[in-house]
Amino acid sequence: MIPTGSRLLFGATVLATIAAVAYGISVGGSLGTVGLISAAIALAILAGINAYVRDSDVSSMDSTALTDSPAARPAPPASNWPMVGALGAMLVVVGAVTYPVVFAFGLIALLAATVEWMIAAWSERASADRGFNTGIRQRFANPAEFPVLAALVAAIIVYSFSRIMLFLSKTGGPVAFGLVAALVLAAGFVVAFRPQVRNATVSAVAGIAVLGLVAGGVAAALAGEREMHPHDTTSDLAADGECDNAEETEVDEHASQTVGAKANIQGEIILHEDGTLVARSLGIGGSSDTMTVVSSNTTNVRFRNDTDEERRLVLNLGERNAVDEETGDTIADEVVPVQRCTQLVADGGSQLLTFSIARSSAAAETPYTFTVPGVDGQAVEVVVP
Amino acid sequence: MRTLGTVARVWFDRVTRRSLAVTGLVGAAAVLAGCAKDAPQDTWQPAGDNSRDIQNLQWPVFAIAGVVLVIVVAAVGWCVFRYRDTGQAIPEQTHGRPALEIGLTVLPALILIGVAVPTVGTIMALSQTDDTECVVNITGQQWWWEIDYPVQDGCGGIDQPIVTAGQLVIPEDTNVLMRGTSRDVIHSFWVPRINGKRDVVPGRVQTLRLEADDPGIYAGQCAEFCGLSHANMRMEIMALSPADFETWKANQTAPYEPPEDGTQAADGEAVFIQQCVRCHQVDGLVDDNGVPQIAHPEDQVYSGAAPNLSHLMSRNTFAGASWDLLTPTCRENVWEASPDAFGERYLTGVTEDCLNSVDLREWLRNAPEKKPMYADQEQLGPTDGLYRGMPYLALSEDQIDDVIAYLLELD
Repeated sequence: MIPTGSRLLFGATVLATIAAVAYGISVGGSLGTVGLISAAIALAILAGINAYVRDSDVSSMDSTALTDSPAARPAPPASNWPMVGALGAMLVVVGAVTYPVVFAFGLIALLAATVEWMIAAWSERASADRGFNTGIRQRFANPAEFPVLAALVAAIIVYSFSRIMLFLSKTGGPVAFGLVAALVLAAGFVVAFRPQVRNATVSAVAGIAVLGLVAGGVAAALAGEREMHPHDTTSDLAADGECDNAEETEVDEHASQTVGAKANIQGEIILHEDGTLVARSLGIGGSSDTMTVVSSNTTNVRFRNDTDEERRLVLNLGERNAVDEETGDTIADEVVPVQRCTQLVADGGSQLLTFSIARSSAAAETPYTFTVPGVDGQAVEVVVP
Repeated sequence: MRTLGTVARVWFDRVTRRSLAVTGLVGAAAVLAGCAKDAPQDTWQPAGDNSRDIQNLQWPVFAIAGVVLVIVVAAVGWCVFRYRDTGQAIPEQTHGRPALEIGLTVLPALILIGVAVPTVGTIMALSQTDDTECVVNITGQQWWWEIDYPVQDGCGGIDQPIVTAGQLVIPEDTNVLMRGTSRDVIHSFWVPRINGKRDVVPGRVQTLRLEADDPGIYAGQCAEFCGLSHANMRMEIMALSPADFETWKANQTAPYEPPEDGTQAADGEAVFIQQCVRCHQVDGLVDDNGVPQIAHPEDQVYSGAAPNLSHLMSRNTFAGASWDLLTPTCRENVWEASPDAFGERYLTGVTEDCLNSVDLREWLRNAPEKKPMYADQEQLGPTDGLYRGMPYLALSEDQIDDVIAYLLELD
């Protein structure tokens, strides 16, 4: 005897099958036919399962089933992890054909859902006591969940903060966040000196503040970054053939003055107080008027200015034909110097010059040299084997 | 009929016996390999002050570590045997023996301090640079070493740079400071009989002290995996007497002498200019119009460099010191030379009679086939079409003959 619920499903299966045949003959569209056949198959499977479990009915005469059957046990709480897992799977598939970052997010969501779901499923079967099960799940999962959640929240806050800072004007940024910092400080004072303030109130205020920050970050990200003026660097100075400029330029005023890679210098070029320019090379004692550097190799040389005026070091590597900036074509009758240079170095200061020379100095029409604009008659020859 | 358990036990015993036999054989082979009498790269045979410092450190450390190993293994073995499970009752469980615990903490600490003191001293001694008498730049790239001597008062005075490849020539009994770097990936310079390893890293300058007691050849090997032909990235240090070193320097700075017109070498020079000078520099080489021929390897090779072939035949290896330019007999004549005779034999260079034309010909015929390199044009996407190593040049046999005749002139 087929149970009542199953009959309904079997009937629906038959109806879907008839509808598929009728639709296929009368309308002829493959999409509708396939849909109806799919529905018929799905209904048939459901009907089969339902018939097998006898509609999950428990006999009214079976007294033990009231306490022992699965239906008698309290249902586990609803879980969101299947949904997160499905979302992750979708992102993995979409990301595989779009952006790697989407794929990565999908994979993370999928893995997190898998692990969390497994832990939840395990804990729900740990005992018949739901409270104990919840506790054991927390003991197992919270040590991993809390740091991850904290890091996630921190990342969102930092990212939102950075978007807002990039959106605000150069002066507006410090003002806005000075105010925010003052508010945070004031709130801290209130919490510290008025302990009667309820935890719920503090949590609500903090939550609203974080939400506001995130909302501001989203709005700022959508609005885009403020316009920023790109400062020239010594590379621009060299590209324009203006390294010989002894006067201060924007390059000297704004760009970084960092002296890096001190441990990896090939040698020093020193401008002495008396205006003489000499080279000192690693491992070679004394000063010299030549420096040998390896071809096609990144080389760091430190320029030390011992005079009482600001000076820059220039590496002269010959000349090349100028290039038309609009067309990119070479201008045959116009040459510009090929140079590398440091910024203006204050008296007593030093700065690194990093360069690579591809060709042997034997290929150069004029010797490669280090010079200092404004200091005449002084040069250190650069020899490239 | 045997039970399944019996079958499994017999199989397990057989596999265990076989595994033990294989392990024993491999171990014995590894140990016996250290007994090779003619191994040129032997860290246990120091040939200079620096390697001797290392030797003087590693022996006592090895002895101390060996004694500790024997004590620990013996104690563990005794415990395992003495307290094996024979069905006895579990003994009374105790917790804490302060005297023993403190002793077992202090004793290893004292041993480590005893090892650390001479170790730190040796490290400091090996990093000294203020007694340098000669400076050389050594630049690694896939898969060869470039050696250049900067202009300096050291090395007996060098007033124009010398550049060579594969073989570092130094004066005997002289503190040489290597300034090492790399043009592409990390390599490691290692000539075991002269000093320890020193990684060379792109963008960094690493120093290493080199000193050889006597004239001779000291073989080395790149010791940091650096790609396809890492195993073929070799080098040699040639130590010469001061007088021989001066002779070698004079030869390296001697001006280029073009081959006589109408000779096979002159034809080879033309092929060289047409095919080889894109990457390989020969200092002083000019074309028929007197235009200097300057190599531009930065347009061809990922590292931006190729060996300078000036005075090629004054070296006796090529292709990253992977092959000898000398025939086996002539090579043996140089390698087996006594310290007194070594300089003269080395400075003889490679004559036509001694040229290992077999390997050189194979190299010129198809270099990537002889030494694994990234030279397939279709696979050079990651390097924007630049080779790593020497490509196939499609030279005819006649062109190869001509080029060999020309290279023989580069002495």
